[in-house]
Amino acid sequence: MHAIVIDDSRAMRLILRRIVGQLGFEVSDAEDGRAALDLLAGMETVPNLALVDWNMPNMNGLEFVTAAREDERLRDMTLVMVTTESEQSHIVRALAAGAHEYVIKPFTSEAMIEKLALLGLVPTGANS
Amino acid sequence: MSENTPTIDDLREIADQVWSAYLDPEGVRPFELGEPKQPATAVSASVSLTGAWHGHVVVTCSSEAARHAAAAFLAMGTEEVGDEDITDVMGELANIVGGNVKSMLPPATLVSLPHVVNGASNRFPTTRQICELAGTWLDEPFSISMWQGRDAGVVAA
Amino acid sequence: MTLSAADFAFVAGLVRRESAIVLTPGKEYLVEARLLPVARQAGAASVAEFLAGLQRRPDPTANRSVVDALTTNETSWFRDREPFTALTDVVLPELVTSRAPTRSLRIWSAACSSGQEPYSLAITLQQALPAGWRYHITGTDISTEMIKRASAGEFSQVEVNRGLPVQQLVHHFTRSGTGWKVTPALRENITFQQLNLTAPLPSMAPFDVIFLRNVLIYFDVETKRSVLRSVSRLLRPDGWLFLGAAETTIGVDESFERVAIGRTSAYRPRVQVPAGALGKG
Repeated sequence: MHAIVIDDSRAMRLILRRIVGQLGFEVSDAEDGRAALDLLAGMETVPNLALVDWNMPNMNGLEFVTAAREDERLRDMTLVMVTTESEQSHIVRALAAGAHEYVIKPFTSEAMIEKLALLGLVPTGANS
Repeated sequence: MSENTPTIDDLREIADQVWSAYLDPEGVRPFELGEPKQPATAVSASVSLTGAWHGHVVVTCSSEAARHAAAAFLAMGTEEVGDEDITDVMGELANIVGGNVKSMLPPATLVSLPHVVNGASNRFPTTRQICELAGTWLDEPFSISMWQGRDAGVVAA
Repeated sequence: MTLSAADFAFVAGLVRRESAIVLTPGKEYLVEARLLPVARQAGAASVAEFLAGLQRRPDPTANRSVVDALTTNETSWFRDREPFTALTDVVLPELVTSRAPTRSLRIWSAACSSGQEPYSLAITLQQALPAGWRYHITGTDISTEMIKRASAGEFSQVEVNRGLPVQQLVHHFTRSGTGWKVTPALRENITFQQLNLTAPLPSMAPFDVIFLRNVLIYFDVETKRSVLRSVSRLLRPDGWLFLGAAETTIGVDESFERVAIGRTSAYRPRVQVPAGALGKG
């Protein structure tokens, strides 16, 4: 299993890399939506999962989600937004754009793992 | 002041969430309210709020506390933590607190990228402090404060 | 002042039975820190004194507060998932057939704690029941504090992240202060009241489904029996009882039979066959 973490905060990229890495994922990362699309274009197999921040320079998370859903190659990636944006309207927009799940910061590792389990991305027995 | 301005209780709740998620997941090293022995000044991370509301959210603490925060956040030992780690984690803490504060402000409010300063506290001319959560973490000074721009964002009742 | 090995083992055993949480040696500091407020509230001078008292004279309420203190933030929505899947896939379709004349259901969440269970039940019912059906959920707990919290229906950012699909978050909750609050539509049709399962129960109309999860483990066998007896009197003869993942009525109360549903089990009152009657023809 392969995941890509897309967040302009290095600290957040490290934390997510650790959580998802411990679940057995191979992890790539990018600092914004545009860098992520460029990275994904060069990959032979597309990741199963993308963890996407909202507010990023160059291309934000909402734009990335929209682009990914419109791209035949990237369409099957599970898209989880991970962000401080917690207004109802933001969440609804993200879901409408095609995000599958939404994790609000701050989140505990257990909560992140549970969200991934809801999406069927956690091998059974791999609880923290 | 609009009646929607976050209060110190809201800051406290947001801080509790941040501690329980990243800095103290086991609930054994909480943030403790109360005047610290020295003011928190060594490391200061802030985000600016613009648009429908103008101001700043600032997270300030001693270098020791910042080192421990980085270690907790990144699940490393304090001796492994580097300067870049500290800056990045403090910035992310300001981002998370600021983002949660923003969600309580008018919808068209925007949050800037974090700004981290070492060795002096952040100063914001033409703003006033609305509330401050001052206390200690691991016996080190730690403060979270909200500042509002004097003229912008104030709506007559 | 570290915990003795025996005290630590006692607490670890208690917590392990109740939750998936395993306290390995090395976590003594965690137990000390988390139990100090609980011990003080109970009037003990130290955690050791508090635990000595508990081991000498078992007290289910105090035991429960020990587990609560060590599993804060652990309460999940749709806990263990399978019982809620079982409800949607098997139980509710059956009840929709058998309760067609009244088109209404009564559910009891008998250890509702901070409210995640009754609200999860409400979400499940709203999704699974056909139009025109009504339901009522009664949420009870021994703690008045928990009942107040559950009734208010407010949850923090960290709490709503736990096992609650985001589509359901935006549908059934609205932002409230720094957290979220259940919508009036979700809150209505649920009543909360304080109730001690080991005391004579107030009279309530019988229930179609009872969730009695992760509370029996706090009791000794005799008390388990008497609780199951009182609870069964409030269950319809064709009703369904759900217990916690590690719990069973087997060996405790023969008036229930276990029914496997998907990857979980439920318990139903055994059909009483009159003496001398033949088996089903």
